[in-house]
Amino acid sequence: MKYKDYYAILGVDRSASPDAVKKAYRKLARKFHPDVSKEPNAEEKFKAMAEAYETLKDPEKRAAYDQLGSHAPGQEFRPPPDWEQHFARGQSSFDDVDLADLFAGFGRGEGFRRRADPNQPVAGRDYEAAVRLTLEQAFHGTEVQLDLSVPEYDENGVAHRVPRLVTVRIPRGVTDGQKLRVPGKGGHGMRGGRAGDLYLDIAVTPHKLFRADGRDLFVDLPLAPWEAVLGASIELPTPAGPVNLKVPAGTRAGQQLRLSGRGLARPDGAAGNLFAIVQIAVPTVLDEPQRALFRQLAEASTFNPRAHFEREATHER
Amino acid sequence: MNVEIAEAVSLDERGVLTLEQLVELADLPVEELRALVDDGALAPVDPAATSWTFAASYVVVARTAGRLRRDFELDAHSLSVVLCYAQRVEALEAELRALRARMG
Repeated sequence: MKYKDYYAILGVDRSASPDAVKKAYRKLARKFHPDVSKEPNAEEKFKAMAEAYETLKDPEKRAAYDQLGSHAPGQEFRPPPDWEQHFARGQSSFDDVDLADLFAGFGRGEGFRRRADPNQPVAGRDYEAAVRLTLEQAFHGTEVQLDLSVPEYDENGVAHRVPRLVTVRIPRGVTDGQKLRVPGKGGHGMRGGRAGDLYLDIAVTPHKLFRADGRDLFVDLPLAPWEAVLGASIELPTPAGPVNLKVPAGTRAGQQLRLSGRGLARPDGAAGNLFAIVQIAVPTVLDEPQRALFRQLAEASTFNPRAHFEREATHER
Repeated sequence: MNVEIAEAVSLDERGVLTLEQLVELADLPVEELRALVDDGALAPVDPAATSWTFAASYVVVARTAGRLRRDFELDAHSLSVVLCYAQRVEALEAELRALRARMG
């Protein structure tokens, strides 16, 4: 079993009072709680401090932890010989035990002596895992393989870390930040308790072309000035493959051309839309005949793109 | 090593859950969930119904509530206030995402 220095994690002395432990935890929780923090690795840091506080705030758990002795963080150690007799039930190997699982079981009827009702069913724990997908995977749906390290209980109720490979089918149309539930794939229940669930936090990697807002997708569509003026039929990439898009004559910059149902699938079977946002791209390198054509157009045209400046200025006066 | 294949389920508006199911999934005492409904943080499908049901998407809200309550040791009223702010932040973030998607 690897040692974790709960006091160091919370930044308090081993002799700290319960109040000092609580204050230290609250200060850190405000900074690192994943629901309120934007700090890098906030979730990981918060998990460590929540685990430390969970043990140190409970006088019985703290006493049991203190009796494990003091070791360097990460150092492999075994509890003292009399520790199990005092705090745990039965003889278990502690080689693949995580301290967090050991102390989380305290009071849940998993291994430790203190138990409300030894026959009461205990529900399995919920697990959470982060899943990163490409936009294409989110669009089409995919299968992901999760290599989890989960606690499993021996006959004495001590949780041992075991690898668990779970293949999960992700439905099409999931969005960034969405949470999915995989029923019954959390921890096993004990004494007839229900199995926990596995919750997946979906993150969709930013795409080079498409931006997502919920199930709607947006793509910038650069047009040459003559395409915008005269209209054009162009090939537009979509996550499902290229489609032909008819750009109407007189299309303006910033205009959004909607491709209905080409966004991400919704659970009701319909789909979001794909919006092509028009940008007018201007050639920066022209040869002399091209320059002459633009000059000819400038001389022939009466178009004034700033006519509203004059109208507004007159109105102000 | 066991290899298992499982289906992930979207927590979307179409599914509904009973109050008891929500209690079980959120790991929150039933009286605290009721307090969240009273404070408007959770909305049953039909508040006047004798047995409340909730849109499945409320699992995320209720689990966030359970996490905040546990991690910050909040009482029911403080939890409602924090949850209300969390929902406002989420709505603003969604608006920001929408603008970024449109603006590029």
